[in-house]
Amino acid sequence: MNTEVRVTVVGAGNWGTTLAHRIASNGHPVTLLTRDPAQLEEINERHTNARSVPGLTIAKNARAVIDMKEAIVGAVLVLFAVPSQAFRAVASAAADFLSPEQLVIHATKGLERLTHRRMSEILLEETCVRQIGVLSGPNLAAEIAAEKPAATVIASHFPRVVRTGRRVLSSARMMVFAGDDVVGVELAGAFKNVVAIAAGMAEELRMGENAKAFLITRGLAEMARLGVALGARPLTFAGLSGVGDLTVTCASAQSRNNRVGRALVRGGVLSDVLRDIGMVAEGVYASVSVHELAAAHGIDVPLMDHVYRVLYEGLSPSASVDELMRLPSGNDVDAFGRGRAALDT
Amino acid sequence: MLHGGEESAVGDEVVGRIVARVLQREAGDRGHAIHEIIGETLFHERSRLEGTTGPRADADDAFYKRVARSLAGPGAAPGAALVREVVRHYTVEIRGHFDPRVYAVATRVLPAGLNALLNGLSPLHVLTRARDLPSIEENVVLDGEIETLRSLANVGTVILAPTHSSNLDSLLLGFAIFRMGLPPFSYGAGLNLFTNPLTSFFMNHLGAYTVDRSKTDPLYRSTLKEFATALLERGHHNLFFPGGTRSRSGAVETHLKKGLLGTGLTAFKNNLRSKKPRPRIFIVPATATYPLVLEAKSLIVDFLERTGKGRYVRSEDEFNIVRRWVEFLSGLLRLRLRIPLVIGKPFDPFGNDVDASGASHDARGRPVDPARYLMADGALVDDQARDAEYTSELAARLLKAYRADNVALAPAVLAFAIFELLRRESPRLDLYRLLRRVGPEAPLPAAAVGEEVSALVAEIRAMARDGRIRIGDESIDPNVVVRRGLETFRTYHAVPVIDRQGDHFRIRDANLAFYYRNRLDGYGLRGSTPLAGADP
Repeated sequence: MNTEVRVTVVGAGNWGTTLAHRIASNGHPVTLLTRDPAQLEEINERHTNARSVPGLTIAKNARAVIDMKEAIVGAVLVLFAVPSQAFRAVASAAADFLSPEQLVIHATKGLERLTHRRMSEILLEETCVRQIGVLSGPNLAAEIAAEKPAATVIASHFPRVVRTGRRVLSSARMMVFAGDDVVGVELAGAFKNVVAIAAGMAEELRMGENAKAFLITRGLAEMARLGVALGARPLTFAGLSGVGDLTVTCASAQSRNNRVGRALVRGGVLSDVLRDIGMVAEGVYASVSVHELAAAHGIDVPLMDHVYRVLYEGLSPSASVDELMRLPSGNDVDAFGRGRAALDT
Repeated sequence: MLHGGEESAVGDEVVGRIVARVLQREAGDRGHAIHEIIGETLFHERSRLEGTTGPRADADDAFYKRVARSLAGPGAAPGAALVREVVRHYTVEIRGHFDPRVYAVATRVLPAGLNALLNGLSPLHVLTRARDLPSIEENVVLDGEIETLRSLANVGTVILAPTHSSNLDSLLLGFAIFRMGLPPFSYGAGLNLFTNPLTSFFMNHLGAYTVDRSKTDPLYRSTLKEFATALLERGHHNLFFPGGTRSRSGAVETHLKKGLLGTGLTAFKNNLRSKKPRPRIFIVPATATYPLVLEAKSLIVDFLERTGKGRYVRSEDEFNIVRRWVEFLSGLLRLRLRIPLVIGKPFDPFGNDVDASGASHDARGRPVDPARYLMADGALVDDQARDAEYTSELAARLLKAYRADNVALAPAVLAFAIFELLRRESPRLDLYRLLRRVGPEAPLPAAAVGEEVSALVAEIRAMARDGRIRIGDESIDPNVVVRRGLETFRTYHAVPVIDRQGDHFRIRDANLAFYYRNRLDGYGLRGSTPLAGADP
């Protein structure tokens, strides 16, 4: 079907602007919600959003608005691309205008602090919508904006959400895969940011390529272990939102979480590091959720726990590496959820 | 509201609809697939009939022989005709004595009869010669959203969705429906309620239709669902247990059967399509908590043997033994044990809250038009996967309501505390070994029990303040919990479940202690992990 789908993107940050541009490029009318009048003017008159996506000329089909009602009412599909810690407030503001027939996809990779809620859970708590999905994968916004080939996944229990999401987003440069493990895709997206901080540290400590591969592999095992304990399916972590996203976040210098890790090694204080980056680094929050969730479920996540200790307990990155390397090693590939229990077999 | 002659109308409509659906599903693969459906029916039904005797089984047997003959050989009947015949056969059985005329009259006749049964006037008085039994009204304590339920029954069609612990539930709810001044509810009752001498009379007069849980044929399940849907569309309020069967472990339901629960959504959609003046369907949770459960012993044995799956009528079930009923009811009444029945906040078929006027609201109280969940581009759209997902969300919210409306009663609190003490003593034992260990030879000092009960009561009270559970009046004071718990456990079961001798408490029946403890399972009380697991 080639019919146009009215899409609204909530959040004109780096990812939201990029998604709006991609969907508009496919010929669908897109409304992009921003909070900033200057940004509104820039998008609608010059078709750029220099602060969020430098160098991008936004497709003409995308139009910015500043009013929530104007943004939401009449959209067939509403895409949320806002930071996890602002998600509840934004969802709640949108809820005044959302209607049950609307489809919602969020593209936020994080968990809410204190409650550890996933974004789809927040949507269920704050709004009347049920037809919810999540978009995630190895998607550096700058590359997508530059039309480099990429793949992503949309997971939902509602086939129409997946179908509509794929229809608006797929292009010759974008393959959109389908999934139905919403929990798994959401958790993978949140957890990988924690491992990415560790990868940044390893990079800055010049630990070499072996160490990076080591870190990605064991990090993935931890992510899957904790994810399965929280209701995810293990194989989801082998998909685009798992190993795919983890690989790109750990390897790329563009990744914010990776930059946090490197800056910490250079001796930065967390608050300064975050101010310098100027954007939200989700892994900084996610590490707290991971730490608390792992403890509550009795899951062993040494690597991610060390990130937490470096961030919040003043452990130095190099001391952390020494400590990690002295931990007893168990089976390489074990049943998910067993942690290091296979040690003495 | 109901007219004579509707009886056959319900049946005919269901037959027509099922046949249409089956044919639609198999369109494009004609003939062959229809034969597969019939083949499936024959397989399931013949397995069921193996070793079964009696006139009903004989009639079924003859019926399927005839179907099998028509299936093969020269002059084979067309597939659609055979499907229609099987569906009609099922529908006739499900409808049973369900007669709208009786159903309407039953409103007036039934309550006296039901009250009499529960009060022990008819069988109990004859058997026990007790004439001074207190009224049932003192024993069943109705609480919760009664006014809302009453109001909703006038603005739409209600599905009353109770927890299921005991076969007494149907009678208890029948009584409650009458007490609340509601119009009659139709009710899908298990075959055993029709064969039990004490209940068959009421079932046949309660607007009950028949559910045979031993039938595993998918076509039977479809027929049953369509039958319930058709009743809802006709504005008959409906009562069914979304948990499917009685809780074997004693725990509050942890998952629900979505099939029957989804009939509310289907009926709502059909009502919108046919532009019914009052299309809305409301799902109202109801949570009954018994201080003692009539069939506790056989239920927990069933749970522990893991043989419960697929077996529904155990001949040794207490439910079918009149003497056990007498003992149970007289014990209940003598001790003036309260059975709290909490009517929960109602939902629409999508899991949204509903107010007394029937309007839906999202979790933050904003008004929601439920019809729009079924629409795309301004029109009603069919989407099975979507509807199943909506029903899952409704189920999740019902489960939450059951937990919140569960009442912590003294026997459960006492059993939980003692079980926790024993479990903490032997943390490494698995459940089955623990149950073998916790007999009378493992006495517990009264002081420790007292402390554990106090700590447990404090936690339950805190949880009750957050609305996550309810607490019975007798469970607020730890001393009363112990006294009342022991008293209750002495009342009905063959040996006291838990008793006290001097300074020590002993578990005399480990399985039953486990069963009563499980009513508080899954709340994380006293740092415990769930032991009852998923109920079959």
